[in-house]
Amino acid sequence: MEYGYYPGCSLTGSAHKLDKGIRKVFAKQGHTLREIPDWNCCGAFEYGDRKELAGFSKKNLEKARGHFTEIVAPCPACYKNLKEADEEREFAVTHPLDLFDEAFFTAMKQARDLKGQVFTPYYGCILLRPKETAIRNTNVMEETITRFGGEVSGEAVKDRCCGGNQIFINKDVTEKLSRLVLERSRGTIVVFCPLCHMAMKTFSGERKVVYYTDLLLHIMGEGGAL
Amino acid sequence: MQKTEYALELTDYRRQDFSVCLGCKICASVCTVNDVSSGTNPQEMLQRLFMGKDVAADEPLVRFCTGCYRCTGACPWEIRIPDVVRALRHVHATESPFEKAFKGSVALFGRVYEPYVLMKAVPFLLTGGYMKHMTRWMEYMGFHLPHKVKRT
Repeated sequence: MEYGYYPGCSLTGSAHKLDKGIRKVFAKQGHTLREIPDWNCCGAFEYGDRKELAGFSKKNLEKARGHFTEIVAPCPACYKNLKEADEEREFAVTHPLDLFDEAFFTAMKQARDLKGQVFTPYYGCILLRPKETAIRNTNVMEETITRFGGEVSGEAVKDRCCGGNQIFINKDVTEKLSRLVLERSRGTIVVFCPLCHMAMKTFSGERKVVYYTDLLLHIMGEGGAL
Repeated sequence: MQKTEYALELTDYRRQDFSVCLGCKICASVCTVNDVSSGTNPQEMLQRLFMGKDVAADEPLVRFCTGCYRCTGACPWEIRIPDVVRALRHVHATESPFEKAFKGSVALFGRVYEPYVLMKAVPFLLTGGYMKHMTRWMEYMGFHLPHKVKRT
């Protein structure tokens, strides 16, 4: 299947690992991702004017019109902004986590398992709230980990805020909030949000922080993914 | 007062929309800001906006709101308090140098071009205690040329 792809600014820079991961996972499953031509920034959370913020994503939808109806946006902020801007529900704006369903795992070639390893699936905020833009299956990461024999930790903190949004404003806020998550969980932290990755990575010490796509690629047999 | 009125104009809300607030304070019970500044109560902010009173830029909620939407998720009316806070920040012009650089990049390139943002925010990063984290951030580094989005 062919999807319109909205990588967003982070995935072209600091979150390049997530971008590569998504592209690889989709390619392995036989799906094609085609970038929305000449897409612009979605505005993330930086704009106080709702109309201005929605304007960015409306422009992106305009650029996708006629090319795609299914759009995949991995960055939670981009995904939320795009979905909210599509008021008429003209497009199917989907987060990749909603595509990792039973059919996906049935078709997936497993090369490794996760036995003996502990993981903290960490969703953060925007994938789960507000309700109207939240992902459908809010346990998809836990289900993946247990399906392949791994142990899940940190259930109580999976939807807490890491404060990543404040990392370049009030860093102490991010440190305090991230440490609350880290202290109440064990093992490798699995995230999907570039901001959560940065917040966790900054304060996680010896603990590994990986993207969910790295986990999938590791299970699929990719070397050095985890 | 005018600032607060203007802030509301930037959201999808009008003052009277907050009359539905039941005062249950469930927003306060879940608010992330309480982990950094206890006693934070978004409901009180809504009440003040409803009464036409000002909300200052140095309130902990306005300063530290992370936009986590826990309040919205818990609220019986799903009031989007983080959207209101962002509008207040906008009218109070409380952006950090990093946020200014972010917006500067969007205005210039149409996208956030991280090398540009970093360059613009260098003094802030140097004095803000960020350098000690650089070793943790090596995996984020990489260079690519900026893409300039066509103006329409």
